[in-house]
Amino acid sequence: MDKELEHSFVALLEEHQNIVHKVCRLYTNHREAHNDLFQEITIQLWKAYPKFRGDAKFSTWMYRVGLNTAITLYRKSKRTVNTYELETFQFKIKAEEYDDTEEQQLKLLYQAVHQLNDIEKALVFLYLEEKDYREISETLGISEVNARVKMNRIKNKLKTILNP
Amino acid sequence: MDELELLKKHWKQQDTEYPHVSANDIYKMILKRSSSIVKWIFIISLLEFALWTGLSFFLKDTKNAQHFDKMDSDYLLIPLTVIGYVILAYFFYLFYKNFRRISVTDSAKILMENILRTRRTVKNYVIFNLVFMVVSAMVVLYIEFDQDTALIQKTQAAAANGEVFMFYAKTILIVAGVLAVFVGILLFFYWLIYGLLLRKLNRNYRELKKLEMES
Repeated sequence: MDKELEHSFVALLEEHQNIVHKVCRLYTNHREAHNDLFQEITIQLWKAYPKFRGDAKFSTWMYRVGLNTAITLYRKSKRTVNTYELETFQFKIKAEEYDDTEEQQLKLLYQAVHQLNDIEKALVFLYLEEKDYREISETLGISEVNARVKMNRIKNKLKTILNP
Repeated sequence: MDELELLKKHWKQQDTEYPHVSANDIYKMILKRSSSIVKWIFIISLLEFALWTGLSFFLKDTKNAQHFDKMDSDYLLIPLTVIGYVILAYFFYLFYKNFRRISVTDSAKILMENILRTRRTVKNYVIFNLVFMVVSAMVVLYIEFDQDTALIQKTQAAAANGEVFMFYAKTILIVAGVLAVFVGILLFFYWLIYGLLLRKLNRNYRELKKLEMES
């Protein structure tokens, strides 16, 4: 039985692993921290999996566990930050798809998002994943109105960071 | 174009950029131990319960306590001990109940609240112990003054010299000083451990609360 549970979990996570990668991308800024957080989220998902009923979508369920781990449970890894990798890993943007200005703009955008606090990042993450305000509010435990207000403020904050 | 819209466009395109974690790697990962703060809070809390329980056992065995046992103090010490254990059981039950309630699939806010509630239980237990310690010290002091023949003689000698007030004051100040140092060291450790462990959680919880207050 346990083996069966394990197999189904691993298969589902392998399929949906990009959700975890994306959480890690917003909350960490170097490869080792990314891998560390990825592992912690995987462990938390696995621990919670026996209670996963399947009445929610696996991916929806993953958003919660992933964000909760990043915001609340995860203790930053003590390894030293290697800023080199930030360049190569975070901004691996295919040259042919973007012109220079857009690439530059994206780079600045990611840097700006990294300056936001943990809660703001969570809102941005769910927004980028095209979640509606109902789901955002349920995931974070705030009202829909507050989620909307906060999202507008974050947009303004990003504007200020980008155009000081 | 809106800044976030540009980001969103890129966000969707980048799915292929992440290193693929194989099923095999996932199997390995789920065997590893979590390093979440909940685990650390659980371990530290158990140590706190153990420390306080252990401390009372340890104090019972000291020479002072044995000397104290000879005196007629059961009428006070037995109820105090029983109350101590009943309250330990009560706090431990609360702690366990709150701890079980922590679930990573709750909303971010509820999860944070449940963790903080668990912490609060242990904190209250520690505060209770500190108060209990101070009260016990006062009771012990009272019994000593009342029944310890050596101390009574000293008090009488002091009274003969007209320094009885000074004598009482000195004894009480020394006991209070030792207690204060002890409490100070404990508080320092608490500040150190929980300051580090819960700083992020507290900050994020405040941020969520602030959202609620503003609108």
